[in-house]
Amino acid sequence: MRRMRSAAIVLLVLLAVVGWHTPLRAAAPADDLVKADLLAEPAAIAPGQTFWIGVRLRMKEHWHTYWRNPGDSGEATSITWQLPQGFTAGPIQWPTPNRIPVGPLANYGYDGETTLLTQITAPADLAPSADVPISANVTWLVCEKECIPGEASLSLTLPAVAAGQTPLEGNAGMRSLFEAARATIPQPSPWAARMDVAPDTLILRAAAKGLKPEAIRSAQFFPFSETLIRHAEPQTVAVTDAGLSLELPRSALTIGTPKDARGVLVVGEVIGASTARHAFELGDVAIATAAPIGSAGMILQAALFALLGGLILNLMPCVFPVLSIKVLSLINHAGQSARQLRLHGLVYTAGVLVTFLGLAGALLALRAGGAEIGWGFQLQSPIAVAVIAYVLFAMGLSLSGVFHFGYSLQAVGGNLAHRTGLSGSFFAGALAVVVATPCTAPFMGTALGFALTQPAAVSLIVFLALGLGLALPFLLLTLAPQLVRRLPRAGAWMETLKQALAFPIYATVAWLMWVLGQQVGPSGLFAALMGLVLVALAAWSFSIWQTSGIWGRRVAAAVAIASVATTAVALAGLQRDRVDASPTTQAAAAAGIEPFTQRRLDELRAENRPVFVNMTAAWCITCLVNERVALSTDAVKSAFAAGKIAYLKGDWTNRNPEITRILERHGRSGVPLYLLYAGADEPVVLPQILTAATVLQEIDRSLQRRADLTTSAKE
Amino acid sequence: MMIPRRTLLGVALLGGAAALSVGLVCTPTTANPGAQARIGGAAPGFTLTDTSGKQVSLADFKGKTVVLEWTNHDCPYVRKHYNGQAMQGLQKKWTDKGVVWLSVISSAPGEQGFVTPEQANKLTTDRGAHPTAVLFDTKGDIGRTYGATVTPHMYVIKGDGVLAYMGGIDDKATTRLDDLKTAKNFVDTALDEIAQGKPVSTTTSRPYGCTVKYQS
Repeated sequence: MRRMRSAAIVLLVLLAVVGWHTPLRAAAPADDLVKADLLAEPAAIAPGQTFWIGVRLRMKEHWHTYWRNPGDSGEATSITWQLPQGFTAGPIQWPTPNRIPVGPLANYGYDGETTLLTQITAPADLAPSADVPISANVTWLVCEKECIPGEASLSLTLPAVAAGQTPLEGNAGMRSLFEAARATIPQPSPWAARMDVAPDTLILRAAAKGLKPEAIRSAQFFPFSETLIRHAEPQTVAVTDAGLSLELPRSALTIGTPKDARGVLVVGEVIGASTARHAFELGDVAIATAAPIGSAGMILQAALFALLGGLILNLMPCVFPVLSIKVLSLINHAGQSARQLRLHGLVYTAGVLVTFLGLAGALLALRAGGAEIGWGFQLQSPIAVAVIAYVLFAMGLSLSGVFHFGYSLQAVGGNLAHRTGLSGSFFAGALAVVVATPCTAPFMGTALGFALTQPAAVSLIVFLALGLGLALPFLLLTLAPQLVRRLPRAGAWMETLKQALAFPIYATVAWLMWVLGQQVGPSGLFAALMGLVLVALAAWSFSIWQTSGIWGRRVAAAVAIASVATTAVALAGLQRDRVDASPTTQAAAAAGIEPFTQRRLDELRAENRPVFVNMTAAWCITCLVNERVALSTDAVKSAFAAGKIAYLKGDWTNRNPEITRILERHGRSGVPLYLLYAGADEPVVLPQILTAATVLQEIDRSLQRRADLTTSAKE
Repeated sequence: MMIPRRTLLGVALLGGAAALSVGLVCTPTTANPGAQARIGGAAPGFTLTDTSGKQVSLADFKGKTVVLEWTNHDCPYVRKHYNGQAMQGLQKKWTDKGVVWLSVISSAPGEQGFVTPEQANKLTTDRGAHPTAVLFDTKGDIGRTYGATVTPHMYVIKGDGVLAYMGGIDDKATTRLDDLKTAKNFVDTALDEIAQGKPVSTTTSRPYGCTVKYQS
């Protein structure tokens, strides 16, 4: 029965081939230019099944048909489906195109042969035993130098079967044809992408961190939009720590900000003596305008949001105590002259604004350098997190009364009229910003998100508005002394309140330690926690120094200095203990993948277990693609599980002599390297470019050999 | 790909006699080197030879709206617009209203779309076309300056010399005659808007068609 069906399908396919035609002016020998046929991967369709159909176009030598964006001229091939009721067809899954230069222009398309794949889904209520006719009207433009339009009506019929009734694979030839066709479709991009828009150029930035410049031989961007770039002009590639960037000459045909910056990025990576060409679909490209594009209204709105966000920041657990203390100091000195009060308010505001400007400046400078960072970047460094935690902790201890700091109640009170008092206010402003950095308030995200797409001047305005919002409550109090008089009278309650305010600060410290725990390993976290103890020791010594006699002071000062110094040493150690919390590592752990060590490999081999070794690196694109298309597919994963194959993954992102030795032993100077140990003998070295089929085949072969060995050993 | 001016001049002088003898007018084209066609900017000036051997300059038409139509009579996309009588209709409609319509041929000798002045005139008569003039840009300098990539590639220049539209002729990038009925013609719209003193709503579109067969 099956054979008959297959024969029928072959016949239908043949008929489809014969049935194609090109209505055209009689003079054109269009018939030999394109041979079109319709192919189906499965031999039969089950209800609800999604399957692949291909339109194969075979062009005469030197003639080409076009990609979805044909480039400077030409026209994309189009397919119109006629399907039975309930069937749905997806879009054409375009193969990666080639760049075809035509005189001073360039086209994107296919020479020789291409198969345009489409996924079709059958309805869930498909009646078995029905015949399913599938027809496609295909129109194309085929060009060498001159162009000739053509079209064909293609059709085939597939039998319908009940779900699970028969294996649905087509014949092996068809299967490998579709396998090959699928391999030409670009992979979804593993990297976030951004397009910086300037009047004459576009800069595409893919956040492919840690790529090695010498390993990238070429890069080419194929935009989906016909009017985005000047197709014929060269694209300049640059590889930095932040990733890969391509400078694209902008087309005059798009005026203003382009709406669609999606496309396909093709990267040529050097692997040993050859080059691997990888295509990634950038389906989501953020468009960032480098030029001042925000209207005055948008800037105003962002500034307003930032102001609101700043105001709300005052209520955050980390900032609230700082503000409260400033207010308490006002109450204590309600009798001060209005001028003095105002001065303090202004100096505090200046402290806030200057610190915000510094922070914004650092952020913008880093971004200009290509770093993909936003607000909260300061928390990406474990050292910064620890420093902020220590400052907050010291502040908390001061509130709890362990020691009296420069800006504390009495000290500020005593010197309010003096310069030290003013610098205290400035310092309080700066401190408010520093302790505010771990927090984000409502409205802030929108405002800062907008600010970072804008030119520096606009960004700074938004940051200043945020700072002003933060400073505003205190500033208003000092500008309106009558408000201060409305506050409760000074008294012992203030000391109690002050002590209570220490607790939100301790809570913030605890949260920061948790953040740190995500960034560093257990020993790093221990060092950071010991740092807290040392901060407490320094604070306590400081209080002794403030109150004791000459010898006590000397000892206390020595202890304080020593503990601060030790804390600094502990901090320096944090960076070294950074854990690589990349998603791949986490996912790997979840999927039963063990990190590679020579010892573990030796153990497994001693146990006579089959082992698969994957030597990879974060900067190796080929490795990444191989994992996506082959190693992490369900078929391969289940084959590993079924064969009880241990999976060891070696990360060569950083220097690792053990991995280097394995690479050298197999004649390689770099990754990827894939080894499959079937038993105690030498491993099979898999190719550097993998497909699921290759891996499955090798697994089968190795397990077979292993079985043979076992049998012969028994005999 | 811009040919240096000096080389151009030399080629023009040397080739002048030879060109005339084969009945082909080799044009000493002038274009501002480096000038680029940009919407809202001054359209690059040019002087080209028409089918009667007369020199035609953009500057001759100050105060008038000028349409540039890059053409190649054998290109299937151009054929769609002429076979469907759409291009001729548009030419007639607007030249009657005083618009200057210049059809430009940038095909190099031996390439598709290259014609002699006589053939060009015959094509105009046979197809019932109504251009103000058909111009030869055999060296392709003007085409390249304007960034003309395809036939038909369309440009609309306002009376003050400012480029108001560039791109495709309409929004149906096909060779199907039927599509003419439903297509939105950008050139017609732009000319309407200019005639009414309104700003042009669609200033660019994707140019579609056959590659201009430039001299390589």
